[in-house]
Amino acid sequence: MGLRALLGRLAAGAEVPVFPVVGGGARSQIQDLRLRSELMLVDSPRHAAVMIVAGSFPPGEVEGLLQVHDQLARPRRTIRWGAEPVPGLDDALVVSGDENRVVAAAVDAFVDLMTGSGPGEPPLLPDVDPVEWRGVGPYGQGGMGMTGGTPYGRPMAERGPARDGLELDQVPITIGPWLPSLPPGLRLHVVLQGDVIQALEVGPAPLRLLDRVDPFRQALVEPVPIAELELARARHHLRWIAEVLRIVDLAGLSRRALVLSHRARPEAGAEVRRLEAAIARSGLFVMALRGVGRISDLPVGWVARAAGSAVDARSEDPGYRSLGFRPVTTEGADAAARVRQRLAETVQSLELAASAGEARAGGHGVMEDPRGRLEVGSPPPAATLLEALPDVLVGQEWGDAVSIVHSLDIDVEAALREVPA
Amino acid sequence: MSALQTFGIVIFGVGAVVSGWLVFRTDSMVRAAYWLMASFVAVGAILVTLDSQFLGLILILMMAGEMTIMAIFMVMFMMNPAGLNPMVMVHQHRTAIAAGVGSFLLLATVALVADFPADPVPLGADPTAELGFELLGRSMLVFESAGVALLAVMIGAVAVAGKWGRFGDADAGSVEPELEPEEGGS
Amino acid sequence: MNPVQAVLFIGVVLGLGAYLVAVLDRVFAGAPGGLRSGLMWPIRRTAFLLVQRRSETERPDAEAWALAPALLAALAAVGLTAVPFTPSLAVADVSAGIVLFGAAMIIVMVAVFLQGWSPNSIFPLIAAYRFAAMALSFGIPFSLVVLTTAIPAESLSVGAVVASQEGLWNVVRQPLGLPVYLVTGAAVAFWGPFRIPEGTDLAGGTALEASGPTLAVWRIARAGVLVTLSVMGAAIFLGGHLGPVLPGWAWTSVKSVALLTLFVWSGHAFARMRVERFVWFGWVILLPIALVDVFASGIVAL
Repeated sequence: MGLRALLGRLAAGAEVPVFPVVGGGARSQIQDLRLRSELMLVDSPRHAAVMIVAGSFPPGEVEGLLQVHDQLARPRRTIRWGAEPVPGLDDALVVSGDENRVVAAAVDAFVDLMTGSGPGEPPLLPDVDPVEWRGVGPYGQGGMGMTGGTPYGRPMAERGPARDGLELDQVPITIGPWLPSLPPGLRLHVVLQGDVIQALEVGPAPLRLLDRVDPFRQALVEPVPIAELELARARHHLRWIAEVLRIVDLAGLSRRALVLSHRARPEAGAEVRRLEAAIARSGLFVMALRGVGRISDLPVGWVARAAGSAVDARSEDPGYRSLGFRPVTTEGADAAARVRQRLAETVQSLELAASAGEARAGGHGVMEDPRGRLEVGSPPPAATLLEALPDVLVGQEWGDAVSIVHSLDIDVEAALREVPA
Repeated sequence: MSALQTFGIVIFGVGAVVSGWLVFRTDSMVRAAYWLMASFVAVGAILVTLDSQFLGLILILMMAGEMTIMAIFMVMFMMNPAGLNPMVMVHQHRTAIAAGVGSFLLLATVALVADFPADPVPLGADPTAELGFELLGRSMLVFESAGVALLAVMIGAVAVAGKWGRFGDADAGSVEPELEPEEGGS
Repeated sequence: MNPVQAVLFIGVVLGLGAYLVAVLDRVFAGAPGGLRSGLMWPIRRTAFLLVQRRSETERPDAEAWALAPALLAALAAVGLTAVPFTPSLAVADVSAGIVLFGAAMIIVMVAVFLQGWSPNSIFPLIAAYRFAAMALSFGIPFSLVVLTTAIPAESLSVGAVVASQEGLWNVVRQPLGLPVYLVTGAAVAFWGPFRIPEGTDLAGGTALEASGPTLAVWRIARAGVLVTLSVMGAAIFLGGHLGPVLPGWAWTSVKSVALLTLFVWSGHAFARMRVERFVWFGWVILLPIALVDVFASGIVAL
């Protein structure tokens, strides 16, 4: 047996390194794949052997997908999770059905790649420089003098004033929409100076909306059991906390939060409190989030409550009032306060679900969804948050910007979903 | 001096000269900085070969940090996006050639003419300890005044680079300074 | 020890250590699967990376990119040569061994900077600059606490530092030394809460564009740096091979594995620090503690 075959047989038993591309409606499905021991979801296409393309995409968004595909190191294989085909990804292995199916398909594809000898899928785009090389001069620097000329035919860096009064180079770059350290679909056109964001614009989302049942939207039109609403809220919060923990490299605690979101029952409050204690011990608040992204003038749900103002649409609802509902608040207004606030609200939601019995709420055209006030005829709170993003992120360093995006629970898909009048 | 030592000095000496020459032949600021570091490492290795381990290793330790800082500063001050575009490392060619030839001749003359003291160190002497006695003995005034001056420069640099910048606190966000100076100046 | 034996010995120690790092990492991550899958995991993962092909980027600095992982591995090896594993077994117990180790660990900065710089890609580049900022902040406290262990020994040789701890280990004699060493050591290997240049926010940072054998060497070399830091920490703070009953090599191994376990555990126990907070932490907290450590040890020695 040759060395390649031996290595391949050994490698076939490894976890499958997967790069996920998340389209419309697939966010929590992909998040749940992180609990599977057969897979290892990686942050860079260079580290992956299998790309899983899940959810739905609008036509005309394939160019970026193909670029990601070509960045996968070889040997590689693409799996399309979902029935509708994606133009351009014609050779992808199509899998429809539940999580187990796609995991099994990924493992099979990986074993094939490792035990076979081929390089896997060929590139889908031509391998050429985006701009033709036009270097001249003794070192190809593009002209005479030290740095003269435009070697790639691209203009030299623009310069802009930096915050310490110097004029420094700035780099315009598009980040996203499938960068795993940002929420899926978030495309940021940023101007960086070093790693400080000087200007930022949110690009169009490459997601297609799917109709989905959501108890909070249902509660706009008809009364819904409070227990159902509050359990859905707790699940949402725990999923969100899992994402925040993943971004600060706390993979173990992140999985724990995700498992807890699946097991969110009314009596799980003590477990959430233990999770909170573990998070505090990890130094998340002190080392990673304290003082980051102070926002005290954004009147959206828990963002406002984390800045000490007790706004909550549930206070107006007779169903909630009969349960003695009072909004909890936190002081601080920074990313750490927002995480603490949501942990406290998770516990509160579980307590409400436990004490609600058969009580119902809603039917008045207003409901507090996990992000904030959802009202007939107004934009959803997710859209308000997304709109506030450029103002909040300009002037931040990249690492803090990522923390802030996650602390604001940005969800491009939820922002697109209008509230019917 | 043993044959092995002579061999080491020749090898590292050639390495120091070649990597020093490459500093000016490369087209990348980062490569230039690290070729210079390689040159210093070779000089440090020569010192180690000459049984002056402490001096040689401390030279290497210092240069690693300094060259990275130098690379960053070069990239910062050049109109070259993140230093990623190729560029020429030599400028003012005539002056540079004249300075190079001049200093080579000067040093070569010194090397040939000067009467170097033949003062063999006794076997078993500890050069590190000798260095310590020298620094805190005869040469104390020189080294202490240089040390205090450097310390003052460091404190000054920290004060200048502090977050209380000319245009307000650094963490107050990236706000462009006003074009018109404020009343009374700041 | 002749050169061939020395190279083999250092290679085996680093290899075993890196393997142990991978196994422990998986244990602390709480990964499912039995003992067998845990022990096989590093082998399977390395096999995968050897099968995977290297990726290419647009106009990289190819030579520097190839050099960086090799340089990191070489630095881990050089740092290890100065440590005596038993009273008589050291690859090169040179008279300035501690300075040799310090120099090797500071040059890690160069390896990481080159790794981030070379692929011509924005996130690795940001990661490289981040590590430079970090390295300047932890470099001085790290060097200070390491060099302070030479004060009681009145020698810069690691063998003499170990010998000076007969009766009283440096961890007791210089109580501030080991904590600062562990914190800055984790930062040298950009491990645990200091995984700042390889953080998830940069999608892997310096390692983002690497794949296949390059990534394998980079990961193993980084684990090797952690091993070197553990073995040296055991030698200069925990009395190295000194100890009752057991032979010297056993004490060296036990103490090194204990420190290694602590390092690996920190990777799962703490959130990744913000780079700005780390710079503050290095200059405002660690540096004064390290200076107090130097002055206190000096006074005690007088």
